[in-house]
Amino acid sequence: MSGPDTNDTPASTHTSEPSTHFGFKQVESSQKVNMVKEVFQSVAAKYDIMNDLMSLGVHRLWKRYTIDCSGVRAGHKVLDLAGGTGDLTAKFSRIVGESGQVVLADINDAMLKVGRDKLRDKGIVGNVQYVQANAEALPFPDNSFDIITIAFGLRNVTDKDKALASMYRVLKPGGRLLVLEFSKPSNEMLNKAYDMYSFHLLPKIGQLVANDADSYQYLAESIRMHPEQEVLKAMMDTAGFEQTTYQNLTGGIVALHRGFKF
Amino acid sequence: MPFAQLVTSGIELAMNQLLKLDDDSQQRLKKLSGKSLQVTIKELPWPLLFSFSEQIDVRIVLTPDSDSEPPCEPVDCLIELNLETLPKLKDSSQLTQLIQQKQLSLIGDIYVAQTFSALLKDLDVDWEEQLSRYTGDVMAHQTFTTMRTLFDTAKSQIEQGAIELGEYLTQSDSIAVKPSEMIEFSRGVSDLRSSTERLSAKIALLEQAKKVDTGLNN
Ligand SMILES: C[S@@+](CC[C@H](N)C(=O)[O-])C[C@H]1O[C@@H](n2cnc3c(N)ncnc32)[C@H](O)[C@@H]1O
Repeated sequence: MSGPDTNDTPASTHTSEPSTHFGFKQVESSQKVNMVKEVFQSVAAKYDIMNDLMSLGVHRLWKRYTIDCSGVRAGHKVLDLAGGTGDLTAKFSRIVGESGQVVLADINDAMLKVGRDKLRDKGIVGNVQYVQANAEALPFPDNSFDIITIAFGLRNVTDKDKALASMYRVLKPGGRLLVLEFSKPSNEMLNKAYDMYSFHLLPKIGQLVANDADSYQYLAESIRMHPEQEVLKAMMDTAGFEQTTYQNLTGGIVALHRGFKF
Repeated sequence: MPFAQLVTSGIELAMNQLLKLDDDSQQRLKKLSGKSLQVTIKELPWPLLFSFSEQIDVRIVLTPDSDSEPPCEPVDCLIELNLETLPKLKDSSQLTQLIQQKQLSLIGDIYVAQTFSALLKDLDVDWEEQLSRYTGDVMAHQTFTTMRTLFDTAKSQIEQGAIELGEYLTQSDSIAVKPSEMIEFSRGVSDLRSSTERLSAKIALLEQAKKVDTGLNN
């Protein structure tokens, strides 16, 4: 899968098709969705174990932190967007209880399926709904959710502004959005070490465990291409969110952004 | 690393693991299903929030920018207490007394606090049964009988010691230890020592048996 080159080759001069990045590659926007899909289709089965390996289990704490900041309680309606294998959904489902509801939405049916099977095995049924959806065009009525979370999902979305606007639309007034995503470590040393880790070690682990170095190379690149803290905060403001704040976790390797709709 | 989340995940893991080891506790946990309890321990920087379903979820209530509005989540029951009062919660019948003594403040449904406290207090884990999964019934039984004897001996010796200490303290004139008391004490210690040695020999045996066992399985 090689996208057209951006350097003025004839292919890239046709202006009708906007381009975007896929990791460090430049590809046509319309292609990125499928390429991201391929990546997650291919990692779905090994996704959970890779998550634990790559982050040494710390992703569980980042997710816990997100839930602690969500203000979730019994009866709430929660959207776990790009929810993948459903880590956040599982916990939300127990907390919102029978009177609440959690929607696990993801663009990728392979990830959704792994998620659904995993949650069923854990005995989580009843208040969880599974929806295949693109974050850029959410298939829900306006003002539907008390809380929306998108964990490690936004960087894979082609048009992030469109996605943020869509999330704003389906959030209830008074509701909040939480974006958990890789970000830029605040310390130069940590940044260098982290680069070493993600560009050299991570694809190797990916090759060893999931037999798929390319996908993990993409993950590393997509992390680097994702807008850093202040930029993402500004994007949320533009989408209409208010009182937007962010918190760096683990030295800024990850950041949690939060914004309200009033 | 998010430290508070490390702590809550530890508490959550330990509690749910313990509940799993006691078959009856699941039944008792059902009574709390759908309820939530917030425990504010004055010495800790954040209140703990327990949500009950088929398991216990433990959270803290956070606002990312810590200087914004203080966390306040609607819960079924909210208790506030000092660290030193915490152990007293083990006895759910003491709750009202603690409230009267102003050692604990409670808002909301006292039933939630009482049931939670009873759930933890009445945990009845059959450790012998747990151990037997690894070592087989006979070994587990022997180890436990020995351990129990050892604990009982130690306990009665400590109790005996306490009585003697009490007596000793009330007899203000006896400062020096009498030879007979010294002999009695040494005998106690050497009993305890040989019981300990017996136990450690048994454990060594168990370990060996386990090694042989896994060796055969390979
Ligand atoms: C790294 S996973 C994160 C899964 C889960 N939230 C977690 O934290 O473990 C990213 C997920 O985003 C999904 N995704 C990518 N682009 C998407 C889009 N445009 N709309 C919805 N989901 C998308 C992928 O299918 C994948 O499951």
